[in-house]
Amino acid sequence: MAEEFEPRIVAFLCKWCSSAGADLAGVSRMEYPPNIVPIQVMCSGSVSPLYIFSAFNKGADGVLVSGCHPGDCHYIKGNYYARRRLNLVNKLLEYVGLEPQRFRMSWVSAAEGTKYTQVIKDFVKDLKPLGPQTKLRRNA
Amino acid sequence: MAKIDELKEEARKVLRDGTVKYIIGYGNGTNGWPAAPIFVKKPEDVDRFIWDPTCVHNLVRFLIDEKRRKARQKQPDKRPVGIFVKGCDSRAIVVLLQEKFIERSDVYILGVSCEKAGVVDAAKLSKKLAGKMPKRVELDDQNRFVVTTESGKIEAAADELLAERCRECPANFPVIYDVLSGEKVKRTPDKPYGSLEKIESLSAEERWTFWKAQLDKCIRCYACRSACPMCYCDECVVDSINLAVTADTTADEKAQRIRWVQRSAESSENFVYHLVRAMHLAGRCIDCGECERVCPLDIPLRFLNKKLEKEAKELFGYDVGFDASLPALISCFRDEDPQDFIR
Repeated sequence: MAEEFEPRIVAFLCKWCSSAGADLAGVSRMEYPPNIVPIQVMCSGSVSPLYIFSAFNKGADGVLVSGCHPGDCHYIKGNYYARRRLNLVNKLLEYVGLEPQRFRMSWVSAAEGTKYTQVIKDFVKDLKPLGPQTKLRRNA
Repeated sequence: MAKIDELKEEARKVLRDGTVKYIIGYGNGTNGWPAAPIFVKKPEDVDRFIWDPTCVHNLVRFLIDEKRRKARQKQPDKRPVGIFVKGCDSRAIVVLLQEKFIERSDVYILGVSCEKAGVVDAAKLSKKLAGKMPKRVELDDQNRFVVTTESGKIEAAADELLAERCRECPANFPVIYDVLSGEKVKRTPDKPYGSLEKIESLSAEERWTFWKAQLDKCIRCYACRSACPMCYCDECVVDSINLAVTADTTADEKAQRIRWVQRSAESSENFVYHLVRAMHLAGRCIDCGECERVCPLDIPLRFLNKKLEKEAKELFGYDVGFDASLPALISCFRDEDPQDFIR
């Protein structure tokens, strides 16, 4: 029997909320799929669109950007900028024909360990039927 | 099509007075057509300026070179540079002002309104002429194209030869100028994003096939970047090889450097390059069509930029290049920005 496809997800987590949320999920021993490659960034607003394209290019099956809820940004407004910019990234990826499920953004606060596990579970569940991402992957 | 006689008078005057350094405009091309950019320094050369539907170039690009030149000089000549602009070009200047790349006092803008028409599309024209060489391309008073060839005149309706972007132009008159020729005729296109409909109606898989076929062609000559009036970064992120390479940069350091985008003209890398370029132009592209015009492989780059222009309008109500006092699209936000895609 063929092994089930396990997607690899690159997650850009902001240091102040989502990373702490992921930590909380860990220390509370909540179970969630191990498909995530977390990358801590200082703010979701510091995630350049290039990071996302580059992650896809280097073989990510899905990319998640997660930051603080609106109004809770450590840098006051970084996540508002991210929201605007990544909305355009989302539309653009969809426009060139990448499956819209492959890019996702979420708000996860430091207290939302359960929400973090839920976001990951949903993402993995959505990516499994799609199979590996080959469109933007180099040398595919 | 507007006449530029008064503008020429004005140009002569400012050159004679020495209030401008030189004037960038359009002159006759080497074989009569199409128009080519010219730089005029002496008042007696002002008569070389022409205006016809083949003035397709966006001369604003030269303002970037001018700024670079000025930065290198010890005692730069601070006088403004005169420049002929169409509606789209003037909006490029507005974006540069908005980003504080240039000052308003750096330019003396000679605006020409396209009135109801616009510029000619070279591909459509050569198709129409079927091998004949045009000598002159003009627009008559009824906004019909009159093309003079060696074997007589050919007339065509404006819609037949007009560039696609001119048919979707939101303001075909200069929005910023010092002197203006022609009327400010506001024309609302029936379908401001009509050319996108064909691609948007496709399924995701078909869109992918379309873009893959198009972007596979790319040879990464970066002509689109060179011609773009908005690509003014001193160091571009796509050639990270250049990033601060000094005499004492070791080979090790160069090898360790992150290369976000590889140089090779490989399909996925081409995608990253073009997506990054589209993102960098989001809310800045004024649809002058230069990237598409200079592309040696005819990649419809306009469709990428136009799509983001459309999204900026629909999601954030942002119009590109009308008000220099507004912040740029992605350096501002509103509390009520849509976030339905966020979980």
